[in-house]
Amino acid sequence: MSVAAGLAGHRRGSLRMVGRQVYYEQLGFWLNPIGAVFTVGFSVVFLALMGAAAGDARVPFLPGIREIQYYTAGFLAYGVMSACFNNLAISLVVRRETGLLKRLRLSPLPAWAALAAVVVNALVVSAVQILLLLVIARVGYHVAFPRQVAPLVVTLLVGGVCFSALGIAVSTLVPNQEAAGPVVSIGFFALLFLAGLWYPLRRGSAMARFSAYLPVRPMITAVFRPFDLGTGGSGWAWHDIGVMAAWGAAATVVAVRRWRWAPRRG
Amino acid sequence: MAGAVVVDGLVKRYGAVRAVDRVSFEVAEGEVFAVLGPNGAGKTSTIEILEGFRSRDGGTVRVLGIDPADQGASRRLRERIGVVLQELAVEPFLSVRQVLTRNAGYYPDPRPVDEVLRTVGLEHKADARVKTLSGGQQRRLDLGLGIIGRPDLLFLDEPTTGFDPSARRGAWDVVRSLTGGGTTVILTTHYMDEAEALADRVAVMSGGRIVAEGTPGSLGGRDTGEATIRFRLQGAGGRPPLPAGADVGPDGWVTVRTDREVEVLAGLTTWAVREGEALPGLTVERRTLEDVYLELTGSQPASDAREAGGNREAGGAPRAGTRAARRVPDRGAGTPGTTADGGRERTARP
Repeated sequence: MSVAAGLAGHRRGSLRMVGRQVYYEQLGFWLNPIGAVFTVGFSVVFLALMGAAAGDARVPFLPGIREIQYYTAGFLAYGVMSACFNNLAISLVVRRETGLLKRLRLSPLPAWAALAAVVVNALVVSAVQILLLLVIARVGYHVAFPRQVAPLVVTLLVGGVCFSALGIAVSTLVPNQEAAGPVVSIGFFALLFLAGLWYPLRRGSAMARFSAYLPVRPMITAVFRPFDLGTGGSGWAWHDIGVMAAWGAAATVVAVRRWRWAPRRG
Repeated sequence: MAGAVVVDGLVKRYGAVRAVDRVSFEVAEGEVFAVLGPNGAGKTSTIEILEGFRSRDGGTVRVLGIDPADQGASRRLRERIGVVLQELAVEPFLSVRQVLTRNAGYYPDPRPVDEVLRTVGLEHKADARVKTLSGGQQRRLDLGLGIIGRPDLLFLDEPTTGFDPSARRGAWDVVRSLTGGGTTVILTTHYMDEAEALADRVAVMSGGRIVAEGTPGSLGGRDTGEATIRFRLQGAGGRPPLPAGADVGPDGWVTVRTDREVEVLAGLTTWAVREGEALPGLTVERRTLEDVYLELTGSQPASDAREAGGNREAGGAPRAGTRAARRVPDRGAGTPGTTADGGRERTARP
């Protein structure tokens, strides 16, 4: 066998290994009704409720843009962040403190494959949410689909990876599973509030300028861009994507330095 | 026989504390080797270093011929070992079969899932969610996950904690069947009867050191040391021939501690037959493994006890040496190395 063929076989084997692990991650996620409902159902129900409440109302400072259009873009970003950051961080703390990570580390499954499967699982859950949200927005509220698909897909993907890194990093800062839910969720919802998910945030306002350098606001504004919600021009929000990537890189450094497989308790 | 595990001069430090202090031992292929010791004795650190989960600060270690610290060989090592952890760590929402099937996929030559289900007695629970299993059933699933990869070496960390007596016997049978097939087992347990039932050899750790090592029957000289003879005097046939120091209680119970038990018994039974005494309740006992264990782990010199007081293992649990030293303060301090089995016991004290 040539070296190239050997490498190709090895790569196929690695992909199969991760794919298999993702399958069991998916099983574990969807068979946990509370986890699935809170992660996926929350954004779906909220979009439906906010759409019903908004009716045909327009965003005052974005001429011609319906509020539900604004919320749809925001909740697409939220869906990715809830799966890749909130759910991932909490689940990693629980896994670490209950010994699941230790058991995984003691198995022959390589560490990179185990972590890759966790991240891919979060991305798959995000994709399911995005599809559900788009269908609800389109069918229920006649929201226009994004005009530029590639920037939207890339933005969501980059955001998913960066928020996964943030989720992993934050999980290393939480000392025990009792603290995981409150610490992660309160921090996340505070960032969402600052970023203007629950209400349209006027561009150029002090809060918008401040939160533009936190990780959540750039994700939301970068997702708006491909919908062309009064932002005009290209669908690529390079500055926002760059801010997200910087947060992702910083989170990766924290995660690598602080990561541990063993429980902190005891 | 080749050594499945060879440890020489192993050292592990946490800050200024030596949690494992120049520990050396060997485990032969197919052997069951039990590591006993109080919490904080260094057992977990030692085992985790062997598993490749924790790094070491000194000494050499070979597990199945592989250095567990060699990152390049870690997957090869993990394909050949099985681990049953103290913590119950299984995804709650998957079924028993799903968990076993997933883990079987990690190994190059796994046992068939149905065979493992039968071995651990969970065939009737194969499709049940893990969270619906009882505590004992979940521990059996843990054991199943430990053996699914057909390991050459199995680490059992307190494998029967929480089991009822019948389930414990079942787990012991599983371990015996594995060793019958050539699997090497390293066992940590707080149950002395478990060590006695399963282990070919036992090492007792205290204060980061191995303070005794030998077969369960000979550890600490318990097979040749002083025996205790007890019986009750009930008749009026006079006083039996008793050695000096025999204790006759007001209730008629007689206790004789002697290292010449055959001689004492011969005199005693000859007298009893002649006098028509039945000697009710007659027993001859040597020290139990637990007696020896308590002596060994409680007999550290005061300097060790002081060190242990501020000692913490990786998980942060206070070391138990101080408590043990208080519990048995007057027994042979400074002489923890007196075995009668040809000097198998070793101390790492300088």
